[in-house]
Amino acid sequence: MNGLKMDFLSSDALLAHTSMEKIAMIVDKVKGGNLVIIEGGLIPEEEAELIETTMREIDIENFVGIDIYTLEKDKKSLFGISKKKAVGLTIIGPANTMKTVKKKSNFISMIANLGDSGASLH
Amino acid sequence: MQNIFRRFLNKLLGKDKKLKIGLYGHPNSGKTTLANTMTNDWIGKPLGLSSEIPHETRKVYRQEHVSINHNGVELDFDIIDTPGIATKIDYKNFLRFGLSEAEAKERAKEATKGIIEAIKWLDDVTGVILVVDATKDPLTQANITIIGNLEARKIPFVIVANKIDIPEATPERITAVFPQHTVVPISALHGENTENLYEAMIKRFH
Repeated sequence: MNGLKMDFLSSDALLAHTSMEKIAMIVDKVKGGNLVIIEGGLIPEEEAELIETTMREIDIENFVGIDIYTLEKDKKSLFGISKKKAVGLTIIGPANTMKTVKKKSNFISMIANLGDSGASLH
Repeated sequence: MQNIFRRFLNKLLGKDKKLKIGLYGHPNSGKTTLANTMTNDWIGKPLGLSSEIPHETRKVYRQEHVSINHNGVELDFDIIDTPGIATKIDYKNFLRFGLSEAEAKERAKEATKGIIEAIKWLDDVTGVILVVDATKDPLTQANITIIGNLEARKIPFVIVANKIDIPEATPERITAVFPQHTVVPISALHGENTENLYEAMIKRFH
Protein backbone atom coordinates (compact mmCIF):
# COMPACT_ATOMS: atom_id res chain seq x y z
CA MET A 1 0.00 0.00 0.00
CA ASN A 2 1.32 3.39 -0.92
CA GLY A 3 0.34 5.49 2.07
CA LEU A 4 1.67 8.22 4.28
CA LYS A 5 2.02 7.42 7.95
CA MET A 6 1.79 10.33 10.33
CA ASP A 7 2.88 10.08 13.94
CA PHE A 8 1.58 12.67 16.39
CA LEU A 9 3.62 12.97 19.55
CA SER A 10 2.41 14.92 22.56
CA SER A 11 4.85 17.00 24.57
CA ASP A 12 4.22 14.67 27.52
CA ALA A 13 5.23 11.64 25.46
CA LEU A 14 8.52 13.34 24.58
CA LEU A 15 9.29 14.41 28.14
CA ALA A 16 10.02 10.82 29.07
CA HIS A 17 12.89 10.68 26.55
CA THR A 18 16.37 12.12 26.56
CA SER A 19 17.43 14.41 23.69
CA MET A 20 19.39 11.58 22.07
CA GLU A 21 16.41 9.24 22.28
CA LYS A 22 14.11 11.89 20.82
CA ILE A 23 16.43 12.56 17.88
CA ALA A 24 17.00 8.85 17.21
CA MET A 25 13.25 8.22 17.27
CA ILE A 26 12.47 11.14 14.94
CA VAL A 27 15.19 10.27 12.42
CA ASP A 28 14.19 6.60 12.49
CA LYS A 29 10.56 7.43 11.75
CA VAL A 30 11.33 10.04 9.08
CA LYS A 31 13.89 7.83 7.36
CA GLY A 32 11.17 5.19 7.19
CA GLY A 33 9.07 7.67 5.19
CA ASN A 34 6.85 8.84 8.03
CA LEU A 35 5.78 12.33 8.93
CA VAL A 36 6.32 13.26 12.57
CA ILE A 37 4.20 15.96 14.18
CA ILE A 38 5.36 17.09 17.59
CA GLU A 39 3.46 19.18 20.09
CA GLY A 40 5.86 22.00 20.91
CA GLY A 41 9.37 22.17 19.55
CA LEU A 42 12.90 20.98 19.97
CA ILE A 43 15.47 23.05 21.83
CA PRO A 44 18.17 24.61 19.59
CA GLU A 45 20.80 22.04 20.62
CA GLU A 46 18.38 19.25 19.69
CA GLU A 47 17.76 20.88 16.30
CA ALA A 48 21.51 20.97 15.65
CA GLU A 49 21.77 17.35 16.75
CA LEU A 50 18.83 16.46 14.48
CA ILE A 51 20.56 18.03 11.46
CA GLU A 52 23.83 16.30 12.33
CA THR A 53 22.18 12.90 12.74
CA THR A 54 20.23 13.43 9.51
CA MET A 55 23.46 14.17 7.63
CA ARG A 56 24.94 10.91 8.91
CA GLU A 57 21.84 8.98 7.79
CA ILE A 58 21.58 10.42 4.27
CA ASP A 59 22.20 7.60 1.84
CA ILE A 60 22.04 9.73 -1.34
CA GLU A 61 19.64 7.37 -3.15
CA ASN A 62 16.65 6.91 -0.85
CA PHE A 63 16.94 9.35 2.02
CA VAL A 64 18.03 12.86 1.05
CA GLY A 65 17.32 14.58 4.33
CA ILE A 66 14.50 16.21 6.21
CA ASP A 67 12.26 19.23 6.08
CA ILE A 68 11.24 20.93 9.30
CA TYR A 69 8.35 23.35 9.68
CA THR A 70 7.07 25.00 12.80
CA LEU A 71 3.89 26.78 13.77
CA GLU A 72 4.35 29.40 16.45
CA LYS A 73 2.01 30.71 19.11
CA ASP A 74 2.21 33.64 21.50
CA LYS A 75 4.02 32.82 24.69
CA LYS A 76 1.95 33.43 27.78
CA SER A 77 3.55 35.74 30.30
CA LEU A 78 2.78 36.71 33.87
CA PHE A 79 0.75 39.75 32.88
CA GLY A 80 -0.81 38.19 29.82
CA ILE A 81 1.12 40.45 27.46
CA SER A 82 4.03 39.03 25.57
CA LYS A 83 5.76 39.65 22.26
CA LYS A 84 7.64 36.38 22.49
CA LYS A 85 6.67 33.40 20.38
CA ALA A 86 6.81 29.77 21.33
CA VAL A 87 6.74 26.80 18.99
CA GLY A 88 3.29 25.22 19.12
CA LEU A 89 3.74 22.49 16.55
CA THR A 90 6.74 21.01 14.73
CA ILE A 91 6.38 18.99 11.56
CA ILE A 92 9.32 16.91 10.41
CA GLY A 93 9.25 14.78 7.29
CA PRO A 94 11.41 13.27 4.58
CA ALA A 95 12.57 15.99 2.17
CA ASN A 96 11.69 13.94 -0.90
CA THR A 97 8.11 13.43 0.32
CA MET A 98 7.21 16.96 1.43
CA LYS A 99 6.94 18.55 -1.97
CA THR A 100 4.81 21.65 -1.70
CA VAL A 101 4.57 23.60 1.48
CA LYS A 102 2.78 26.89 1.97
CA LYS A 103 3.45 28.53 5.26
CA LYS A 104 1.84 31.49 6.94
CA SER A 105 2.19 32.52 10.57
CA ASN A 106 -0.74 30.34 11.67
CA PHE A 107 -1.19 27.96 8.77
CA ILE A 108 0.81 25.27 7.01
CA SER A 109 -0.32 23.45 3.90
CA MET A 110 1.60 20.64 2.29
CA ILE A 111 1.33 18.05 -0.43
CA ALA A 112 3.12 14.81 0.18
CA ASN A 113 4.52 13.08 -2.86
CA LEU A 114 3.85 9.35 -2.66
CA GLY A 115 5.22 8.13 -5.93
CA ASP A 116 2.40 8.11 -8.47
CA SER A 117 -0.29 9.19 -6.08
CA GLY A 118 -0.49 12.25 -3.89
CA ALA A 119 -1.89 13.19 -0.53
CA SER A 120 -2.58 16.62 0.79
CA LEU A 121 -2.46 17.75 4.35
CA HIS A 122 -3.70 21.07 5.71
CA MET B 1 39.71 58.18 21.76
CA GLN B 2 41.37 55.50 19.62
CA ASN B 3 43.88 54.79 22.38
CA ILE B 4 41.05 54.22 24.82
CA PHE B 5 39.40 51.79 22.40
CA ARG B 6 42.71 50.00 21.84
CA ARG B 7 43.34 49.64 25.56
CA PHE B 8 39.78 48.42 25.99
CA LEU B 9 40.27 45.78 23.30
CA ASN B 10 43.69 44.73 24.56
CA LYS B 11 42.30 44.32 28.04
CA LEU B 12 39.49 42.12 26.79
CA LEU B 13 41.55 40.04 24.41
CA GLY B 14 44.75 39.65 26.38
CA LYS B 15 47.98 38.82 24.58
CA ASP B 16 47.40 35.16 23.82
CA LYS B 17 43.60 35.00 23.65
CA LYS B 18 42.22 34.66 20.17
CA LEU B 19 38.83 35.25 18.75
CA LYS B 20 37.63 32.52 16.40
CA ILE B 21 35.10 33.88 14.00
CA GLY B 22 32.84 31.44 12.15
CA LEU B 23 31.13 32.28 8.89
CA TYR B 24 27.77 30.55 8.76
CA GLY B 25 24.87 30.73 6.37
CA HIS B 26 23.02 29.05 3.52
CA PRO B 27 24.83 27.55 0.56
CA ASN B 28 25.67 30.31 -1.95
CA SER B 29 24.84 33.09 0.50
CA GLY B 30 28.32 34.50 -0.09
CA LYS B 31 30.34 33.24 2.88
CA THR B 32 33.52 32.52 0.94
CA THR B 33 33.22 35.76 -1.05
CA LEU B 34 32.93 37.66 2.23
CA ALA B 35 35.88 35.79 3.75
CA ASN B 36 37.91 36.61 0.65
CA THR B 37 36.91 40.28 0.83
CA MET B 38 37.82 40.45 4.52
CA THR B 39 41.20 38.76 4.21
CA ASN B 40 41.97 40.80 1.09
CA ASP B 41 41.16 43.97 3.04
CA TRP B 42 43.18 42.92 6.05
CA ILE B 43 46.12 40.84 4.90
CA GLY B 44 46.04 41.31 1.16
CA LYS B 45 45.33 37.72 0.13
CA PRO B 46 42.19 35.66 -0.47
CA LEU B 47 41.07 32.86 1.87
CA GLY B 48 39.45 30.37 -0.47
CA LEU B 49 37.66 29.95 -3.76
CA SER B 50 34.06 30.82 -4.47
CA SER B 51 31.90 28.87 -6.86
CA GLU B 52 28.45 28.91 -8.42
CA ILE B 53 27.93 25.29 -7.31
CA PRO B 54 26.37 25.09 -3.82
CA HIS B 55 28.44 23.29 -1.19
CA GLU B 56 31.70 24.06 -3.00
CA THR B 57 33.15 24.88 0.40
CA ARG B 58 33.16 21.30 1.58
CA LYS B 59 35.84 21.48 4.18
CA VAL B 60 36.61 23.97 6.86
CA TYR B 61 39.27 26.42 5.78
CA ARG B 62 41.09 28.34 8.44
CA GLN B 63 43.19 31.41 8.15
CA GLU B 64 45.10 32.03 11.33
CA HIS B 65 46.59 35.28 12.59
CA VAL B 66 44.30 37.51 10.59
CA SER B 67 44.59 41.08 11.77
CA ILE B 68 42.04 43.86 11.37
CA ASN B 69 43.43 47.35 11.33
CA HIS B 70 40.49 49.61 11.81
CA ASN B 71 41.08 53.30 12.51
CA GLY B 72 44.32 52.43 14.23
CA VAL B 73 42.78 49.64 16.30
CA GLU B 74 44.23 46.19 15.64
CA LEU B 75 42.19 43.11 16.31
CA ASP B 76 43.71 39.66 15.74
CA PHE B 77 41.51 36.67 15.13
CA ASP B 78 40.97 33.53 13.07
CA ILE B 79 38.46 33.26 10.28
CA ILE B 80 36.78 29.89 9.92
CA ASP B 81 34.93 29.55 6.67
CA THR B 82 32.42 26.75 7.03
CA PRO B 83 30.15 24.99 4.58
CA GLY B 84 26.52 25.95 4.36
CA ILE B 85 24.11 24.36 6.78
CA ALA B 86 21.14 22.62 5.26
CA THR B 87 18.68 19.97 6.40
CA LYS B 88 18.74 18.05 3.12
CA ILE B 89 21.18 17.17 0.36
CA ASP B 90 19.78 15.85 -2.91
CA TYR B 91 22.46 14.92 -5.40
CA LYS B 92 20.02 15.65 -8.26
CA ASN B 93 20.36 19.37 -7.46
CA PHE B 94 24.05 19.13 -8.39
CA LEU B 95 23.25 17.65 -11.81
CA ARG B 96 21.98 21.08 -12.90
CA PHE B 97 25.53 22.39 -12.68
CA GLY B 98 26.82 20.00 -15.32
CA LEU B 99 28.24 17.37 -12.98
CA SER B 100 27.96 13.70 -13.92
CA GLU B 101 25.73 11.52 -11.73
CA ALA B 102 28.76 9.92 -10.05
CA GLU B 103 30.33 13.33 -9.40
CA ALA B 104 27.06 14.71 -8.08
CA LYS B 105 26.66 11.78 -5.67
CA GLU B 106 30.23 12.19 -4.46
CA ARG B 107 29.67 15.93 -4.00
CA ALA B 108 26.48 15.24 -2.04
CA LYS B 109 28.30 12.80 0.28
CA GLU B 110 31.04 15.34 0.92
CA ALA B 111 28.44 18.05 1.55
CA THR B 112 26.85 15.97 4.34
CA LYS B 113 30.26 15.68 6.02
CA GLY B 114 30.83 19.41 5.62
CA ILE B 115 27.54 20.16 7.38
CA ILE B 116 28.50 17.92 10.32
CA GLU B 117 31.82 19.78 10.54
CA ALA B 118 30.06 23.15 10.45
CA ILE B 119 27.83 22.17 13.37
CA LYS B 120 30.83 20.89 15.34
CA TRP B 121 32.56 24.25 14.86
CA LEU B 122 29.75 25.92 16.80
CA ASP B 123 31.34 24.49 19.95
CA ASP B 124 34.64 26.17 19.16
CA VAL B 125 33.88 29.68 17.90
CA THR B 126 33.79 32.86 19.91
CA GLY B 127 31.90 34.90 17.35
CA VAL B 128 29.84 34.18 14.24
CA ILE B 129 28.95 36.09 11.11
CA LEU B 130 25.67 34.74 9.78
CA VAL B 131 25.59 35.47 6.07
CA VAL B 132 22.08 35.83 4.64
CA ASP B 133 21.32 36.34 0.94
CA ALA B 134 19.22 39.55 0.90
CA THR B 135 17.49 38.50 -2.32
CA LYS B 136 15.92 35.46 -0.61
CA ASP B 137 13.51 34.76 2.24
CA PRO B 138 15.59 35.03 5.43
CA LEU B 139 13.13 33.14 7.63
CA THR B 140 14.38 29.65 6.88
CA GLN B 141 14.64 26.78 9.31
CA ALA B 142 18.44 26.66 8.91
CA ASN B 143 18.77 30.35 9.84
CA ILE B 144 16.37 29.93 12.77
CA THR B 145 18.32 26.86 13.92
CA ILE B 146 21.68 28.65 13.72
CA ILE B 147 20.41 31.76 15.52
CA GLY B 148 18.71 29.61 18.19
CA ASN B 149 21.94 27.71 18.77
CA LEU B 150 24.05 30.87 18.91
CA GLU B 151 21.65 32.39 21.44
CA ALA B 152 21.54 29.21 23.55
CA ARG B 153 25.35 28.98 23.60
CA LYS B 154 25.69 32.74 24.17
CA ILE B 155 27.95 33.15 21.13
CA PRO B 156 27.97 36.76 19.87
CA PHE B 157 27.03 37.15 16.24
CA VAL B 158 26.39 39.66 13.49
CA ILE B 159 23.90 39.01 10.69
CA VAL B 160 25.11 40.12 7.28
CA ALA B 161 22.45 41.01 4.69
CA ASN B 162 24.57 40.18 1.66
CA LYS B 163 24.20 40.86 -2.08
CA ILE B 164 22.76 44.40 -1.73
CA ASP B 165 24.31 45.14 -5.13
CA ILE B 166 21.52 43.05 -6.72
CA PRO B 167 18.40 45.20 -7.44
CA GLU B 168 15.99 42.60 -5.94
CA ALA B 169 17.80 42.66 -2.60
CA THR B 170 15.63 43.67 0.36
CA PRO B 171 17.95 43.89 3.39
CA GLU B 172 15.17 45.63 5.35
CA ARG B 173 13.26 42.32 5.31
CA ILE B 174 16.14 40.71 7.24
CA THR B 175 16.14 43.57 9.76
CA ALA B 176 12.37 43.18 10.11
CA VAL B 177 12.48 39.45 10.92
CA PHE B 178 15.49 39.68 13.26
CA PRO B 179 14.85 43.04 15.01
CA GLN B 180 16.67 42.02 18.19
CA HIS B 181 19.96 41.32 16.37
CA THR B 182 22.64 43.38 14.63
CA VAL B 183 22.01 43.30 10.87
CA VAL B 184 24.54 44.89 8.51
CA PRO B 185 23.63 45.21 4.80
CA ILE B 186 26.68 44.70 2.57
CA SER B 187 27.86 43.57 -0.84
CA ALA B 188 30.70 41.14 -0.18
CA LEU B 189 31.38 40.98 -3.92
CA HIS B 190 31.97 44.73 -4.30
CA GLY B 191 33.18 45.44 -0.78
CA GLU B 192 30.22 47.79 -0.24
CA ASN B 193 29.50 48.78 3.40
CA THR B 194 32.11 46.34 4.74
CA GLU B 195 33.43 49.14 6.97
CA ASN B 196 30.09 49.02 8.81
CA LEU B 197 30.47 45.27 9.23
CA TYR B 198 33.98 45.63 10.69
CA GLU B 199 32.67 48.23 13.14
CA ALA B 200 29.82 45.91 14.17
CA MET B 201 32.29 43.02 14.61
CA ILE B 202 34.53 45.08 16.86
CA LYS B 203 31.48 46.05 18.92
CA ARG B 204 30.02 42.55 19.17
CA PHE B 205 33.17 40.40 19.29
CA HIS B 206 35.19 42.32 21.83
